[in-house]
Amino acid sequence: MSEQNGQEQVLEKPESQLKEIWYSLCRNKGALIALGIIVFLIFVAIFRDFLMPYDPNYSDMGKAFQRPNSEHWFGTDQLGRDIFSRIIYGTRISLSVGLIAVTFALTVGTVLGSIAGYFGGKVDTVIMRCMDMMLAVPSILLAITFMAALGKGIDKAIIAIGLVSIPEYARIVRGSILSIKESDYVQAAKVIGNNDMTIIFKHILPNVLSSLIVRATLGISTAVLDTAALGFLGLGVQPPIAEWGDMLGRARGFIFSAPYTLIFPGMAISLTVLAFNMLGDGLRDALDPKSRNK
Amino acid sequence: MRKHMKLVSMVLLVAMCVFCLAGCGGNKQQQEAAPAAGEAKLSDTLVFAQGAEPRGLDPALVDDGESAKVMANIYEGLVKYAPDSTDILPCLAKSWEISEDGLTYTFKLQEGVLFHDGTPFNAEAVKFNIDRQLPPLVTEDMGYAGFVFGSVDNVEVVDEYTVKINLKSPSTPFMANLAMALGAPIVSPTALQNNDNNVNQAPCGTGPYKFVSWSPSENVVLERNENYWGTPAKTQNIIFRFIADNSARVVALTNGEVDMIDGIDATVVDQIKAGQMTVDNIEGMTINYLAYNTQSPVVADKEVRKALSQAVNVPELVASLYQGYASEATTILPSFMPGYSAEVKQVGYDPEAAKAVLEAKGITEIHVITYTNPRPYNTANGQTLAEAIQGYWSKVGVTAKIDAYDWSTYKEKVKTGDYDVCFYGCNGDNGDPDNFMNLLCDPDPTMNVARYNNPEFNALIAQGVATANGEERNALYAQMEKIVAEDCVWLPISHAQVLSAYNPLVDGYYYHKTAVVFFSEMSKPAK
Repeated sequence: MSEQNGQEQVLEKPESQLKEIWYSLCRNKGALIALGIIVFLIFVAIFRDFLMPYDPNYSDMGKAFQRPNSEHWFGTDQLGRDIFSRIIYGTRISLSVGLIAVTFALTVGTVLGSIAGYFGGKVDTVIMRCMDMMLAVPSILLAITFMAALGKGIDKAIIAIGLVSIPEYARIVRGSILSIKESDYVQAAKVIGNNDMTIIFKHILPNVLSSLIVRATLGISTAVLDTAALGFLGLGVQPPIAEWGDMLGRARGFIFSAPYTLIFPGMAISLTVLAFNMLGDGLRDALDPKSRNK
Repeated sequence: MRKHMKLVSMVLLVAMCVFCLAGCGGNKQQQEAAPAAGEAKLSDTLVFAQGAEPRGLDPALVDDGESAKVMANIYEGLVKYAPDSTDILPCLAKSWEISEDGLTYTFKLQEGVLFHDGTPFNAEAVKFNIDRQLPPLVTEDMGYAGFVFGSVDNVEVVDEYTVKINLKSPSTPFMANLAMALGAPIVSPTALQNNDNNVNQAPCGTGPYKFVSWSPSENVVLERNENYWGTPAKTQNIIFRFIADNSARVVALTNGEVDMIDGIDATVVDQIKAGQMTVDNIEGMTINYLAYNTQSPVVADKEVRKALSQAVNVPELVASLYQGYASEATTILPSFMPGYSAEVKQVGYDPEAAKAVLEAKGITEIHVITYTNPRPYNTANGQTLAEAIQGYWSKVGVTAKIDAYDWSTYKEKVKTGDYDVCFYGCNGDNGDPDNFMNLLCDPDPTMNVARYNNPEFNALIAQGVATANGEERNALYAQMEKIVAEDCVWLPISHAQVLSAYNPLVDGYYYHKTAVVFFSEMSKPAK
């Protein structure tokens, strides 16, 4: 019942619903802070070239392992590169891998899931069993396999991470479609002669949107973490490009002698992942009419 | 109900902690079980942790340092190295004579020596061991056969305890090679016959320790050879443990789980010292270098190579990267090796000159391949080193494209020759200068990674091998060094110090220059 109520609201007063979601989000302090952090990160990513005090790849061997000081806020790494500049540089990499990979996975996953859920039968079996196969292997392992096959590079990391997260979206979409496609209004839309594509994209998908948005937000945090994991394992970027996970992996030998080489990239990763997770949680509460109307 | 839950979870937590502690303790108890009745004062077991498992324990069939460390305690060769140098001392051979022409070596053997399986050691056993590494019996798996016995023509048994080795051509490094832990050690002929000519899993030598067991990826256990012909070992059992992760190995040392570790780098020295452990560093017999692929069109020109080398500030690089635990290499040979010459100079640091030449020659991009693992001669790992060099080159307008691979893949990539610059290094095996310099004339491109082929240099190498030790020979190697430095084939970077660490309770610890450890003199007071 509640689903149909939500549907009516969407149709009747979409503006007020958006507002309501926004208010609900504002009431959740954690989510609001997270949103602030994300906006800040995006700002850093866009204007990184103006924000970096040094060339992130400029190495001055004479100044290796400097503790954080007024010149180098986060200190310098083993090769005398400014860690602060490298973290700023890495922001765009992590965010763009996260966003693009999720967009890719979301698009492909939605299309596959819709087809599987709506048409059912053999198509469903073929698509979903393929997805199951991908889900059976731990996603990071699968990503490592893809990277090993494709080689190093940001673009390849995007493809690898995007590919491994397709099944999640496909499953969500398929599940929702299965429950919605038998509802009266879909039947009605069929009866009045709408074609399948219109029904899927115009009438069914908007109902799946809220769960997809939540999943995608959380997906970005997973993608950022996966990027870092690939970098940590030395599969991410071509040297000397600065990437958080790579910085962390290369510095792990210095955990006792120069902890700042680890702490700052580690903090950047945690902060980003935390922000997306908190926003995702906030969005889930805000988008769920049941919890919103409490 | 809430309270109840809390109580239950507390109990569970405590139980878990107790189990964990019990688990930790169990290991130690096991190690210290079966106390030696005779020696009240000394601990009966010493534990040595290394980074990797031996590949095997048949000295003819393996070629890695991790195996050598274990084998050095099980086997002995005809001769051995002095504890603090690579001078040759008698071992299974009491004495030897070298003929005037340098072609015949006659060894008088120790009498009454028994292998661990009871087989008597005699001239036949020596012949059996060398013959198995000579054509026609030698196989492709015998990595060091060519290196150690390549110059041997045949072996004659003169009498029970006299053996004569005839060489094809004079070879000065031959004696030094006979002391090595790979290829040269003498294995029980009975054990070889019983094990299908492969004692990788059932080693049997004459050394102070006998093989007991090998639990894959866990440990190798040795026990004292009570019938040893020399002074018996002080400690009854030696356990080699394999802990791949550097920091885990350090933790194992500092919390008393193991007594000695090796394969560490400068970054953990402070941690080890803070844990009240002793760090041992010796001048390593190593060279860490950058090699130009002389066959690649990009760096085929000597001027280009020179300019690229000039762009790198080696002293700064070494000081910063190895934090005082490696010395700048001005020559290929470390300063304590025969043949070292202080007169050899590499190109100095001169970025201005380098930039001018590189611009004039139109060099903007260099393809670099490197390895991602730390190596004994380069503890900072190849990728970090390559990135440091990349930084220097970027300042003279050259972009380095780095491809980094793990060690085994890297070796395959080197074989293909698809690179302008690569990084490599060498651990000296025998203290002979030929061991290092020969790398530049080796026909095998995985050894001669610069693919250098200079007839003049090759002639000098041949001359060096045939000349007896002394000033004349040393001068030849100095001359070779000069040729290589002038041709800018390598950019020598550093001579690493070999770092290992041990519990200060261990008495008599020493780590030999050839990167092996001998335990027979070591002991530790019992707890």
